[in-house]
Amino acid sequence: MANADSKRVKSVILQGVYEENLKIGAGSSASVRRRAILRHRRTAVPVLLILLVSLALVPGRFSPLPDRTPAAEPSALAEPAPMLPWPDILSGYTHAPLAPPPAEKIVSAPLPAVPLDAGRLLDYDLLLNSDSVRLSAVFGLGVQTIVIDPGHGGKDPGAIGSRGTMEKDIVLDIALRLRDRLQQSGNYRVLMTRDDDTFLSLAERVRFANTHDTDLFISLHINALPQKESNVTETYYFGPPSDLYTLRLAEQENRGSDIQTGDFRNMIRKIGDLLKEQESATLAATIQQSLFSNMQKYDKKISDAGTKIAPFVVLLGVDAPSVLVEISCITKQEEELSLGTESYRDQISLFLQQGITRYLSQRHIQVVKGEKNDKEIGNKSG
Amino acid sequence: MTKKSATKAAEKNKKLLVGIDLGTSRSAIAADNGKRKWVESYVGWPRDFIARKVVGKPVLFGEEAVAHRLSLDIYRPLKNGVIKEGTARDEEAVKELIRHLLSLVRPESDDSRVRAVVGVPAESFKVNKVALKKAVAEFAESLLVVSEPFAVAYGVEALDNAMVIDIGAGTVDFCIMHGTVPAEEDQRTVLTAGDYIDQQLESFLRERYPEADFTLNMVRRFKEEHSFVGEPPEEVKVEIPVEGKSTLHDITDEMQRACESILPAIVETTLELIAKFDPEYQDAIRENIILAGGGSQIRGLADYLEKTIGEYGPTTIKTVEDPLFGGADGALALACEMPEEYWTEL
Repeated sequence: MANADSKRVKSVILQGVYEENLKIGAGSSASVRRRAILRHRRTAVPVLLILLVSLALVPGRFSPLPDRTPAAEPSALAEPAPMLPWPDILSGYTHAPLAPPPAEKIVSAPLPAVPLDAGRLLDYDLLLNSDSVRLSAVFGLGVQTIVIDPGHGGKDPGAIGSRGTMEKDIVLDIALRLRDRLQQSGNYRVLMTRDDDTFLSLAERVRFANTHDTDLFISLHINALPQKESNVTETYYFGPPSDLYTLRLAEQENRGSDIQTGDFRNMIRKIGDLLKEQESATLAATIQQSLFSNMQKYDKKISDAGTKIAPFVVLLGVDAPSVLVEISCITKQEEELSLGTESYRDQISLFLQQGITRYLSQRHIQVVKGEKNDKEIGNKSG
Repeated sequence: MTKKSATKAAEKNKKLLVGIDLGTSRSAIAADNGKRKWVESYVGWPRDFIARKVVGKPVLFGEEAVAHRLSLDIYRPLKNGVIKEGTARDEEAVKELIRHLLSLVRPESDDSRVRAVVGVPAESFKVNKVALKKAVAEFAESLLVVSEPFAVAYGVEALDNAMVIDIGAGTVDFCIMHGTVPAEEDQRTVLTAGDYIDQQLESFLRERYPEADFTLNMVRRFKEEHSFVGEPPEEVKVEIPVEGKSTLHDITDEMQRACESILPAIVETTLELIAKFDPEYQDAIRENIILAGGGSQIRGLADYLEKTIGEYGPTTIKTVEDPLFGGADGALALACEMPEEYWTEL
């Protein structure tokens, strides 16, 4: 690089470093995260509106309008769609043809234009920024397939206790018990990434989940800590996409009101990300709550590390809402002894089941709340 | 102004610029007074008052902490590339580590104000910026946080059409440089790194030599002395005790398998990252790949990657001269060249 060029590039880079660091606010990471989620939700408002209207007008598998389109192929939804007043919402819009898009972008018949109504947007903002409403409820998404992923296996033993107890064996046993418990309800298809002592790479686990129409993914692990006297339970989920991603997507969305193929794909992806995050966080919270409150009965000193966000590859890769549970710590000798007993492992599977069941029942509550909010919104706009 | 008061004012305004590479396994510091130091990224606190008496210090670092690990609550605060959120001890460990690193380059009598550029694993840069800033606030007048591979790139002036692959203990960080601060889509992190090799090697050795008595720490030393990929440069034989008797073991195959276990992810991520870049510049980037971090010292690695990635077009892979200080030197270069107005007080 020529000297002048190098100087110019360095100057740009140094300014960039400064600007990047300016963004590191004084607030806590939690508040930063919360702001990010809120920002995410806000940018999702127009996207969701456009998407919903376009979905309503383009018949197909993704249409959220119940009873409007014939079920051309089997739906993955286990629960009935919520009674949301979509027809009322749609009635407020005038459908007019779009200005013709550039020839190379035309993939089908031109889409109808959707003039946006500011009042309606505000209503959607209320709907989406309410903590009691989740996208799964808005879209009436159910859970049919649950994948349980016992960590490690085969040549990879995972954590090993001082008595030689291996993480791979404990989590497999708990996973099998959990599978049996969940299957008893008869409501879910429960699959295991492995049901014997087989080694699976993370990529294989992710591929398994993504090719089996997974609705929930639960990865089970046992922790190991250098502090041998500690016992901790914690549940992880993956965080939201980067701010930059959101920003760029927002830029794309703001180009105009016409929906082009690329934009459409991005919208779906973005809503998918938000949906995954909301559901993963809720699932993590209910599992963690159930595990900790129950395991305290066995170990009074067990620490509640809560739900955490972490860049685990397996959580990133799986498309469905997913969590990674670190049940307890094998490095604590007493805990290793307990994990070696069948009754304790069976109890853990019960605590996990309780957490998952609570999550699944809360999805229903969220639907009800969503309806309530819709009514309130309806009254307000009416 | 008198000469005396001018000297006093100059003393007051004296600044020490430092570049810190806060690594998963090792942390290094380079200062503009010419001092450079590194330490293993371990921090340990005595478990009780007896341990405190035995070790003779309130907190221990690096190899000293590892040596006394049985008496300590020991932490590797950036294990897996991030500070575990909400774990106060990990945050405290980062703080102690930074305090210790600064003490290594700044004599106690020196009261100059510190301006620091800290390079951290890319994942930590994304997740822990605020925690890092808080950890450094006590010791520095102002601070800038950057990702490790970016610091390395700046240090070797690979600022445009280049790619840095920083192979650390907890993570392998990838970063494409294109004449500006790399955005998140220009960076990737893979978690199969040096620690993963250790775990694999340990598991292979336990399988082949069940009677041998060794620790993960010993396995790590074997790796650091003998790691290689591709054709073995020589037979790898190490002494491992069996029932208390030191015995020579041939670990050539196991070493090769363990070291090569991280290659698929590196190759795949490199190709993916390049493929996503502007096609007009993909060739230029492929011809300017720089390996950094402790993992870059694996023998045969650069050749292997050059050959494998070379199947997609001409490829040149270089290794930084001093992997231990590559990040710290780059961070110091950033600190030295940072305009005055970009330093804001914490």
